[in-house]
Amino acid sequence: MDQTTNALRGEGIALSFGGIKVLRGLDVEFRAGEITGLIGPNGAGKTSLFNCLTGAYLPQEGTISYAGDPLNGLPPAARANKGIVRSFQHVALCPDLTVRENVMMGIARNGSAGWLSAFLPLPGGTREREEMARSADEALADLGLPDVGDKLPGELPPGMQRLVEIARAVVGKPSVLMLDEPAAGLNNSETRDLTKVLRKLASTDLVMVVVEHDMDLVMSICDRIYVLNFGEFVAVGSPEEVRSNPDVVRIYLGSDDDE
Amino acid sequence: MSDQATHIIPGQSVVSRLSGMATSGLTTAVVVAVLIFMPLLLGGSWTFTLGLCFANSIGVLAVSLLVRYGGEVSIGHTFFTALGAYSVGVLDTRYGISLWASVPLALLLGVVFGLLFAWPSRNLHGIYLAVTTLALALAVPEMINNFDVLTGGYEGLYVATPFIPGIEMGLQRYYVALFMLVIVCLAVARLRLSRQGMALLLAKAHPAAADAFGTRRVWARVSIMGISGGIGAICGATLAFSGSTVSPGGFTFWQAIFLLVGSVVSFYGLSLTRVLIGGAFVTLVPQLLSASGAWIPVLYGLALLGMILLGHYMPRIRKAMNRKAEAN
Ligand SMILES: Nc1ncnc2c1ncn2[C@@H]1O[C@H](COP(=O)(O)OP(=O)(O)O)[C@@H](O)[C@H]1O
Ligand SMILES: [Mg+2]
Repeated sequence: MDQTTNALRGEGIALSFGGIKVLRGLDVEFRAGEITGLIGPNGAGKTSLFNCLTGAYLPQEGTISYAGDPLNGLPPAARANKGIVRSFQHVALCPDLTVRENVMMGIARNGSAGWLSAFLPLPGGTREREEMARSADEALADLGLPDVGDKLPGELPPGMQRLVEIARAVVGKPSVLMLDEPAAGLNNSETRDLTKVLRKLASTDLVMVVVEHDMDLVMSICDRIYVLNFGEFVAVGSPEEVRSNPDVVRIYLGSDDDE
Repeated sequence: MSDQATHIIPGQSVVSRLSGMATSGLTTAVVVAVLIFMPLLLGGSWTFTLGLCFANSIGVLAVSLLVRYGGEVSIGHTFFTALGAYSVGVLDTRYGISLWASVPLALLLGVVFGLLFAWPSRNLHGIYLAVTTLALALAVPEMINNFDVLTGGYEGLYVATPFIPGIEMGLQRYYVALFMLVIVCLAVARLRLSRQGMALLLAKAHPAAADAFGTRRVWARVSIMGISGGIGAICGATLAFSGSTVSPGGFTFWQAIFLLVGSVVSFYGLSLTRVLIGGAFVTLVPQLLSASGAWIPVLYGLALLGMILLGHYMPRIRKAMNRKAEAN
């Protein structure tokens, strides 16, 4: 299938909070089969753009579509059902669930066990839970966390918590995967593992968008990069094009202190 | 094979800790076994009182569940207990229908009214929701008195139809309550493992994350209210049968407060042993203090404070004792 058919598209996305313009009419095309980078200084609007695409924020202007289907007006849960998922910049795991169960929440919406099996030990519900647990364990193992399923998120160091957050996003075999600073808080070896996992995940029908401050990571895995500054794109292109763009260099040299 | 087993019981210790089951399944089993033999050792009046403890424990559980899975506080659960109690009372005294039919009806009414309450209040949180539940509680005695053709008004109803004919009524009142408590606790423990239960917990901790993975906030709120209302009604149904009388005095605003207090002193625990502590507090403390006249409120307050301090310092005391034991 053509890369651009299954793309996640936004046209003229404008978002403001109480008169403060956060996104100023952005056009994006995140293509299937590519890893797209979204970079820019803190406060540029990267997370806000994710929030608009997932439905957490309602942009005042613009249209959003996936594979040609309009998404405007669909609540986040409905977009999740279309396979559009994201990870959170600030780890959003449930402290009351085990690590495995947190990852299971990435696929729990696909479950069919009804309310009766929520209260009674019916075989259908038990089987479904086992299957979800197995998928969760596989996702955790892929991210290099084979042995922590029974722990609580709070018992893991921050880097591992972030990997669990990513496992929850990838476990459901999404069609659009948006990762918000997946490498923040990871040490060097964890970042290397993450890089491998992201490369492995990339497939011809997956739209993957990565917001990241780690330039080595971004430059090494991304096919295309969008550079956002004050709610506007200052550059779009291949890593080489972006790296040599004078505006990008200026923004990144100038913003050293607030990183 | 062994990792198959861990899927079925994923870290029982962690899950049981989280589901509020501070105690292991074994402890619970021992407690239940002891309770089964209690009537042989105790006199009739204590058996009766313990039955009420079990029934109130279910109400405490309903309130704690709302806190644990919904993050919300109710000071109006007598609305649901009254629904359940009058289901049993009315069906029994007016139509001679026993618990076989009245408990399912109570459950149904509790769930339905839980949902009906949840929908209009779905966007209220914290103190605003609590005050709204308070309105429910305040309305209850009035409503009972207004429907006196059915409810018997101030006089109340007397529940006398046995559940299992042929067995002495005093024992039935005890064992039915114990059975209900065990069943409800098992159902709640199961909920913790279900996809719905996990989704509720995630929605409570991180609504945005729950949203992003397909759990809508409104669904979460409406569901937990339905569940909590249903369990509240089971509490009322059990109270009616085990307490034998149903009258407005059992469903006052104060009773709603007591249920919340019971939930607090059991630290919102959901295990059988924990909710028993709350249920005993709700049942016994007012009784024990009823002899002390004007000092009741003060003593009640002191008892409450004592319980909370004990619960607060217990883990530390236990840790200190463990350390001492290790040192020796
Ligand atoms: N819910 C909100 N309410 C008000 N302002 C917001 C909200 N979310 C984001 N913003 C503002 O939008 C701007 C962009 O934030 P964000 O998207 O988080 O940037 P980035 O992810 O690129 O660091 C910031 O100035 C932030 O204060
Ligand atoms: Mg951000």
